[in-house]
Amino acid sequence: MAVKRKLIKERVPTPERPAEERVKDFGEVNLGYTFELAVKEAERCLQCPANYAPCIKGCPVHINIPGFIGKLVEYRDDPDRAVKEALNVIWACNSLPATTGRVCPQEDQCEMNCVMGKVGDKINIGKLERFVADYARERGIDEELLFEIVPKIEKKGQKVAIIGAGPAGLTAAGELAKLGYDVTIYEALHEAGGVLMYGIPEFRLPKSIVESEIDKLRKLGVRILTDHIVGKTVTIEELLEEYDAVFIGSGAGTPRLINAPGVNLNGIYTANEFLTRVNLMKAYLFPEYDTPVYVGKKVIVIGAGNTAMDAARSARRFGAEVTIAYRRGPEDVSARIEEVEHAKEEGIKFEFFINPVEFIGDENGKVKAVKFEKMKALEERDSRGKRKIVGTGEYVTIEADTVIIAIGKHPNRLIVNTPGLKVERGRIVVDENLMTSIPGVFAGGDAIRGEATVILAMGDGRKAAKAIHEYLTKKRENGNA
Amino acid sequence: MPYKILDKKELAMNEVWYKVHAPHVAKKVEPGQFVIVRAFENGERIPLTPVEWDREEGWITLITFIRGKTTMRMANELKPGDEILNIAGPLGNPAPMKKYGRVLAIGMITGIVEVFPIAKAWQEFGNDVTTLHVSPNPMVILEEKFEKAVSRHIVEGFDLQPGWGMNEIAGELVKRAVAKVRELLESEHFDMVLTVGPAGAQKAVFNVVKEFGIPMHADLHPIMVDATGMCGACRVTIGGEVKFACIDGPGFDAYKVDWDELIHRIGFYAPMERLAMEHYMKALQGGEQ
Repeated sequence: MAVKRKLIKERVPTPERPAEERVKDFGEVNLGYTFELAVKEAERCLQCPANYAPCIKGCPVHINIPGFIGKLVEYRDDPDRAVKEALNVIWACNSLPATTGRVCPQEDQCEMNCVMGKVGDKINIGKLERFVADYARERGIDEELLFEIVPKIEKKGQKVAIIGAGPAGLTAAGELAKLGYDVTIYEALHEAGGVLMYGIPEFRLPKSIVESEIDKLRKLGVRILTDHIVGKTVTIEELLEEYDAVFIGSGAGTPRLINAPGVNLNGIYTANEFLTRVNLMKAYLFPEYDTPVYVGKKVIVIGAGNTAMDAARSARRFGAEVTIAYRRGPEDVSARIEEVEHAKEEGIKFEFFINPVEFIGDENGKVKAVKFEKMKALEERDSRGKRKIVGTGEYVTIEADTVIIAIGKHPNRLIVNTPGLKVERGRIVVDENLMTSIPGVFAGGDAIRGEATVILAMGDGRKAAKAIHEYLTKKRENGNA
Repeated sequence: MPYKILDKKELAMNEVWYKVHAPHVAKKVEPGQFVIVRAFENGERIPLTPVEWDREEGWITLITFIRGKTTMRMANELKPGDEILNIAGPLGNPAPMKKYGRVLAIGMITGIVEVFPIAKAWQEFGNDVTTLHVSPNPMVILEEKFEKAVSRHIVEGFDLQPGWGMNEIAGELVKRAVAKVRELLESEHFDMVLTVGPAGAQKAVFNVVKEFGIPMHADLHPIMVDATGMCGACRVTIGGEVKFACIDGPGFDAYKVDWDELIHRIGFYAPMERLAMEHYMKALQGGEQ
């Protein structure tokens, strides 16, 4: 079938479940492309050369994006082959594409400078990545590819310990296992996945998908020890006795609280607690699952990042009326565009320029309202480019029986207290190779960044794996000399 | 990661003892620390205290008081040879090991379980430890072990009356604890008091100890979910500051604890906990799994 090269300006849309249907359950919102639709979207790609392609430059793990998209078109007559070739291209840089295809902020990364954007819609890179991963998983193509890779791995005979089975740790583990290292991940919780399991809700990232991606790592030979809290069960010093290198990917596990009276009233959650109950412990299936979560009739979520959207949309699925309260304006909302749009479609209200100053409780110690100060924006901008805000001295009180605080997180405290580990403002300090102040101990993701995204953590995991490989190669050569 | 149950016994009414293979915990645990147990696939994470352990053999013992769905399911469904799905730990900070002098360590109902390793270690460290167990008589446990481990063990037991519910038991517990602690503090000198037990009873005991001005250490049991400092469910106000009991505690200076807030927070999920229990009982009666 001869295809005439013609610019198709509009994106091929992906089907989504209607808002009124999806707010009743935790099933996935976006249904993704079929092969036919994926090829149609792939055909729109201008196939910029790899040394120029702005999408590759925008991707924190530098996936050859035109490369994988091109395979879909090239082998369009043999869908399985097309997907296998495309997956092979993606896997060279990213071992969790079903996840990143769903949760990356593509509009700020790969899709940001897409050349198609000059004449029409940018290529829907995220949904194409997701399609490749999903189709491969459903047809067992990923397993097939894995079987081809595993026997080719040359064992190096050196051991690496990874702390935390979140995006940074899983990525580092996958890369190191492919390079032939003996990798063990130490995970504090009962499930691997980190924020992918406890933080991001089922309707945005189904847990079965995360489990399947982790299962692939196990097939690469990665060992995962759950229930092990590094800093308590085992220390970094002890790990260094047993392993040749250590990677810390312990994330930003400590929630930030609001320093206002009444913050410990019942019905006030950190987003971490609320989402952990709902996602990891599956409280939306209570009482079939044992962990409950109380969600009242009127919920206020404080903050406007991705976590705030996740908390708000989860609360909405329990039938609550939900309001997102943000101290800045709409232009400073940091969540992905898609999440904000989905939240609005689902009937979540947004209140801007209000900052909580007091939580008001009833006689039983349960929250009943939040008092906010009205804020206004100045022209001056802060270091992150956001407009500075000041209080106006005017106040507004909004009724709420549930409040979820989603204003950010700090790095996990248990790890940071390791003797000899240099830490600044709670973040682990690393050099340009992601090595910490302890030789042989590397770190990445939110543990060094404070709070960022899944894909930046994965970028660190990949970079650290490379650095660990170089470090251990030297160690090996010196050992043999 | 599953952990094998090596042995299991019912020590007293609703008090079940498990010996479990958990070498990663046995190797590191210190008195005052706890573990998080997730016993079943759809189960919750609950904090429990290792009572005894053997670092070489790799086992720990746990004692649960059957008070909710999880502890009841564990008692009904787990037998020696079975596995507990997850045991994470050790968590929390070890109790401080200091020479206080004469110590009164009070355990109320199953709180006595957590007192055991701390009291034993304090005695070994050179303190003169008196332990006091306030409990309904049918639930008195660990008597022999305490008698061997500390200078003196006192059981302040009371009989359960027909028709009593949890409120009546709690009321009697507080009454007995307050009276006995007052009697002891009036007749003897103590340098330090420790309490573990229901928060309401801990507060009542604290109010007595405060009158005597004796330093007091309280191990707190707010609701926990992850217990690694991640969720903040267990936050407590200590001296006006928000702390997480899981990583800053579980032991705190009793004089600094906001007791009323703690009591409110612990009670928050009681209605849903009852619902879970009813759901389980119904399933048992219906013969469902």
